[in-house]
Amino acid sequence: MLAFLLRRLLTLVPLLLGVTLLAFLLMWLAPGDFLTPMKMQRDIPADLIKQLEADFGLSRPWYVQYGYWLGNVLQLNLGYSWSFKVPVSDLIGSRLFSTFLLSLTSTLFAWVVAIPLGVLAAIYKDSIFDRASSFLAYAALSIPEFFLALLAVWFAAVTGWFPVGGATSIEYDYLSAGGQLLDRAYHLVLPTLVLGIGGVAGLMRVMRANFLDTIRAEYVQTARAKGVPEGVVMFKHVLRNAINPLISAFGFSFSGLLSGALIVEIVMNYPGLGNLIYQALLREDQFVVLASIMLSCVMLVLGNLVADLCLAWSDPRIRLENQE
Amino acid sequence: MLLGACGKVPDVPVQDKIVPLSDQAEVAPFAPGQAGAMFVTTQPGDINTLNPLISEDGPSTAAISRFMEGLTRLDPDTGAIIPNLARAWSISEDGLRYTFDLREGLAWSDGEPFTAADVVFTWEEALYSKQIDSATGRPAVDEKTGRPKLRFPSRPAYFHLVEGEEVRAEALGEYRVRFTLPQRYAPFLLFAGGQEILPRHILKPHVDKGTLLDAWSISTGINNPRELVGMGAFLLESYRPGERIVFRRNPNYWKRDSAGNRLPYVDRIITRIVGDSNASNVAFARGLTDAESIQADNVTWISRAADRFDFDIHDLGPSSSTSFVWFNLQPGANPEGRPFVPDHKRRWFSDRRFRQAVSYATNRQGIVDGVFAGRASPLHGYVSPKTVNWFNPDVRRYPYDLDRARDLLNEAGFVRRGDRLHDAAGNPVEFSLMTNNNSNLRTEMATVFAEDMAALGIRVELQFIDFNTIIRRTSESFDYEACLLGLGGGAPDPYSSKDILMSDGRLHFWSPSQSSPGTGWEARIDELMRQIGRELDENKRRADFFEVQAILAEEQPMIFLVTANEYVGVRRRWQNVQPKPLGGVFWNFDSFWARPE
Repeated sequence: MLAFLLRRLLTLVPLLLGVTLLAFLLMWLAPGDFLTPMKMQRDIPADLIKQLEADFGLSRPWYVQYGYWLGNVLQLNLGYSWSFKVPVSDLIGSRLFSTFLLSLTSTLFAWVVAIPLGVLAAIYKDSIFDRASSFLAYAALSIPEFFLALLAVWFAAVTGWFPVGGATSIEYDYLSAGGQLLDRAYHLVLPTLVLGIGGVAGLMRVMRANFLDTIRAEYVQTARAKGVPEGVVMFKHVLRNAINPLISAFGFSFSGLLSGALIVEIVMNYPGLGNLIYQALLREDQFVVLASIMLSCVMLVLGNLVADLCLAWSDPRIRLENQE
Repeated sequence: MLLGACGKVPDVPVQDKIVPLSDQAEVAPFAPGQAGAMFVTTQPGDINTLNPLISEDGPSTAAISRFMEGLTRLDPDTGAIIPNLARAWSISEDGLRYTFDLREGLAWSDGEPFTAADVVFTWEEALYSKQIDSATGRPAVDEKTGRPKLRFPSRPAYFHLVEGEEVRAEALGEYRVRFTLPQRYAPFLLFAGGQEILPRHILKPHVDKGTLLDAWSISTGINNPRELVGMGAFLLESYRPGERIVFRRNPNYWKRDSAGNRLPYVDRIITRIVGDSNASNVAFARGLTDAESIQADNVTWISRAADRFDFDIHDLGPSSSTSFVWFNLQPGANPEGRPFVPDHKRRWFSDRRFRQAVSYATNRQGIVDGVFAGRASPLHGYVSPKTVNWFNPDVRRYPYDLDRARDLLNEAGFVRRGDRLHDAAGNPVEFSLMTNNNSNLRTEMATVFAEDMAALGIRVELQFIDFNTIIRRTSESFDYEACLLGLGGGAPDPYSSKDILMSDGRLHFWSPSQSSPGTGWEARIDELMRQIGRELDENKRRADFFEVQAILAEEQPMIFLVTANEYVGVRRRWQNVQPKPLGGVFWNFDSFWARPE
């Protein structure tokens, strides 16, 4: 088990190297750099731009810049944001919580709604419920997230039932602990729905298909023939077997947690990492971009790791040690 | 609001040290109002920093201006320099010594006294601090320029050098500061007066540690807002990244109303951070905020909600931003030996008559109507009419006149064959025009311009490209034929245009960084600009700058298009709102008041 974990974590090293090298190269190839917009401002002296170029190391070749950055990262220093003048770790840290919270609630929402719906649709195959849920799932899958987000903003603005953007209300700082919790939850409702609904539809369809596959398996027939109660057949035998692909899918969705929320965060004005990363990318605030790319990468690997562990826990036939 | 009842905004939570109003406090000339109201706004985009030395973006600068002040400010009607933290000043006969008398008995927002030591600190210890070479123990020197290296390189630090040399600041007593200049420098009063004065008792430790540029970051705003001490009407109470900024009134502000009450009246300013200016405009149109700067193309639909949400939209007239087209006149060739612009095209572009004809054929009113829905003003010269004190109204104008355009082209040897214009050598006249693809207004202006040129038989190929690429092409590779861009206002002094107008300037768009002026008229502009830099007599400077504008209008190296008008909406419950074309709506924000809701 330990060897498996170690091996998995070791694969991170070449992955991170490759990804950051590519990102660095792309940013270097893109026209202009962080200081370019300054060159179009009339009251910035040329001397200042030269000095900043030297200070930021932008006048060095890109591979030297990359080398310096890598050296710092090895010392656990993610660098410094040029536009904010604060360490990147502080910057990301101040936003991470909001994004993580949103991702967590929307994933939870997707799973809690999708699994029962998928199971029911499979059990009552071809019923009106199955048809209706299929139709809704296709509809939800075909609406792009950003459009759904726009609809949600419009809905909030017209009805006034939900806040239009933000993660907390104006009086948040003066609320009791319970009040703060409620306030956060209230602001999370719409973004969670928007971000989660696509997941519900997808997961539900997968759940239904797997469940139907498993339902026809011979051991299910055997169980029924033995006289095992129908409820136990469905939930102990069928569900346990049908859920495996969903757990694998969870690994991927974990990696999308940070980046997937980007568009929804921007449209719904939710103060998470999405906005920050997008702005950093536009401004070529190098180290912020690199740190966020690394973060997504680590999340992807960790997500898959967690999914594998969950799989092993849920399905005793899977032995991690022998897998690779 | 669902949770509105759960909590109340308490009064100022921490005890402030309050210093009584000084008898030199400024008296605001408005009817006394009632204190206590809350002012709610939105702001497109988050702040990057709260440090005035490194702030580059609009949101940060707006936030900083709430709590920082300079020695002087500008009169909202005339643009003249008027007292602010300094109550008076005098300039020596030779123009080299400026002596400022500060208002006495003022206090920083934390109650510490504001004195000449703070002003001297700002220049001598913060801006001009030098790097020390660790090997020699002496100030480090830049190999290229031979000047000492700055320890905190920042825009203000370079900005306050007079042609590369430092100004000396010294305290003459507690409330008097004298600046000694290395040479006569006309914009000194404006530039120095606009510099935010830094609190010595707070920032000195950062200077000593060498962390001045890292001080007052957003982390300070989040974790320790009380460290942000200023002289402005407000001080930061809390900041949540991506969500909101809350300012509360500065209990030690140095202005009072005619009844003797300390300003400002507004108790708190709550600024919600939203994604973009459209979202911000929508929030105002739905009555969620108290004031909003409205884009020209949103005015019509927002004004329909004016009575429902009880606001007025103030039309402030032309803004100080400009838009223009210029042709690449850069002589020479690229490293591969190819001329930057093909020779025959260069001949057209450098012919004044060609540029004038293009200017006559540009339908500025068409751009105003078609692109800005009538909410812009045609622009005929370098200075926007908003800048009343420097605007020359009598320059040569180019009203839309295709006949005159054709006459000029004939005179310059161009001939029309069919629907295309050809030069004397028989080349069809066509050029490419680039502008940045992320500005709808610019791409639309370029489209209208191209259609106007088609009427002359000139084909314009439009290129909408990334802004950074444009900058590289216009300032490094010179690989372009014509370009459409705009300029923001800049400091309201003609000398702040020296990098654009002088032939050795970095932003001398049509042919930057020339070693010596390429044409006679550019040489004349250089000479006039140098005089403007040295001359202290306002009238002589104006006369010189009027001549600069006249030369530019005659030569048309930049063909000016339009300037967007400015609109600001304010809820009617706010009193003492007196919009001015120059000062805008918020020049007297510290006197705004409303009955608390």
